[in-house]
Amino acid sequence: MKARPITTVKTVVTGIEAAGAGIKLFTLADPDAWELPPFKPGAHIDLHLPNGLVRTYSLCNEPADNSRYVIAVKREADGRGGSRALHDEIDIGTVIGVSLPRGGLDPDARIARYVFVAGGIGVTPFLSMARHLERTGQADYKLHLIVREEVPLADHLGALIEQGRIVVHRTSRTGRPDLAALVGEGGGDTLVACCGPEGMADDFERVTAAWPAAHVHIERFVAPPPVIDPDAKPFTLSLARSGAEIQVRAGQTMLAALQEGGIEIAASCCGGICGACKVGWIEGKPVHRDRILSPYERERYLMVCVAGSDAERLVLDL
Amino acid sequence: MLDTISTGPAQGAAQLGWTGVVRFLHLAPRAFLPMRAAESINLVAGRGIEGDRYMIGNEEGFYSHKPEEGRQVTLFELETLVALKRDAGIVLGPEEHRRNVTVEGVPLNHLVGRRFWLGETLLEATRLSVPCRHIEEITGKAIFDPLINRSGLNCRILQGGIVKVGDTVRNAA
Repeated sequence: MKARPITTVKTVVTGIEAAGAGIKLFTLADPDAWELPPFKPGAHIDLHLPNGLVRTYSLCNEPADNSRYVIAVKREADGRGGSRALHDEIDIGTVIGVSLPRGGLDPDARIARYVFVAGGIGVTPFLSMARHLERTGQADYKLHLIVREEVPLADHLGALIEQGRIVVHRTSRTGRPDLAALVGEGGGDTLVACCGPEGMADDFERVTAAWPAAHVHIERFVAPPPVIDPDAKPFTLSLARSGAEIQVRAGQTMLAALQEGGIEIAASCCGGICGACKVGWIEGKPVHRDRILSPYERERYLMVCVAGSDAERLVLDL
Repeated sequence: MLDTISTGPAQGAAQLGWTGVVRFLHLAPRAFLPMRAAESINLVAGRGIEGDRYMIGNEEGFYSHKPEEGRQVTLFELETLVALKRDAGIVLGPEEHRRNVTVEGVPLNHLVGRRFWLGETLLEATRLSVPCRHIEEITGKAIFDPLINRSGLNCRILQGGIVKVGDTVRNAA
C-alpha cells in the first residue's frame, strides 16, 4: 500500500536524440504506451528529476501526437542544474514524474495570423505551435528565429525554413533585428508571441505595449523576480488539514515559510508564471500576484510563491 | 424513521421502478492518464476492474493513498452529463468524469446500501462519490460545484464477470 499520494504523471524516457550544439531531445512516454494527458500547442510541463530538482520545459511535439511528450534541452554548464542533470544523468528507461501540462495557446481562438519571435532555444514552444498549424491549416503564421549564428534543432526546422515559414535572423551577421518591424502593426485577428532571453522578452514587451493584452503572449526562460510590497506585513498561515500554524515574515514568500516549516510544496518558476505551487485557500484575504490564475480560480487557489495576505491570518487547504 | 426507507408500496415502487443500461465503459491504469473507452471490462469480485488504477493490489490512482474497500468500481449517470450541458452549458464527455461506468436510466443516488445487477455482475453500492478538484485540474473545466450531489456512486463487487456496453442494469431483490 502506498502511503504517499501520487502527484505526478509517471513517464519513462523512451528516446534521447542529439539535436545540434549542446541540445538533446528527450521523449517521455507512459510505461505501457497509454495516451498522456492532453496539452495545448506551446504548453509546458515540470519534470521532477531523480535528483530532486523540478524544472519546466516546453513541449515541442504537437497535441495530436498524444502518446509522448518531447522536450528539447540545451545543456547550460553554468545554469541551475536541471539541464546538466538531464544531459548527464538521464538514460533511456529512466522514470521521470511530470506535472500535468500547463499553458499554451488556445487552439480554438479566433486568430487568423500568428507572429512568433523566438530567441535561440526559445523556439521550442513555437515548434509545437508550428506543427499544429501546419497540420490543421487553421491560421497563417510566421516564426522569426533570432540566433547568434547556429540554428538550434536544425533538422526539425529545416523544411519550415525552406518554405519561408521560419525566418532566421543571425545577429552575428546582421545585428539585432527591429522587433517592432517584425511584429508589425497587427490587428484584431493577429496574435504575437515571444519566447527568449530576458532582454528580448523586455524589448518585445515594450514594442507590443499598445496591443490588446489577449493578443500578446510572452514566455521567459527565467521568471522575473517577484515584486514584494515594501509595506508588507507578517502574517500567519493556518493549515486546515494538518492544523499547523506557520509564520510568514514581512517580505517573505509563503513558499519559503512553508518550506522552512517542513511542508513539502512542489514549486518550479517561483515567479507566479508556471503554476506548479498552486494551493487551495479557505479563509482570509489573499493578495494574488501570479500571472496565470483566472478570476474564477482565484476564488479558490493562490500561488504560494508570489501571493501575499491582506489579513493577519490566511487558511490554506494543506 | 430516517435510518431506512419505508416498507410497503413506496419500497416496492423504488425497487421495481427502473431498468437501466450501460452506455460507456472507461478505465485508466495510472493517475492523471486519460480514461480510455472499452467495449467490455472485467470486474473481479472483491478487488476491482482489471487494468484500472484503483483495483485493490494495483494502487496506482490519485486517491490510492486513501484506500477504500468499497471503491472497486464507480458509476456515473449519463443524465448528469445531459443536465450539465442543458443547465450550465458545460460539455463534459463520458471519458472526462473519471468514473468507470456511465449508465442511463439508473437512479444512482437511491442505491446506496442496495445491491443491483450490472450485466452479469452483482454490485453493492457503498457510498455516493463526491466531486473533487482533481477532476477540475485534469479537465480544466469548472465542474466541482455543478457536480455536487450527482458525481456518481462507489460500489464493491460481490460477483465478478464481464460487463459490456449495452448490458442491462437492474435491481437485485
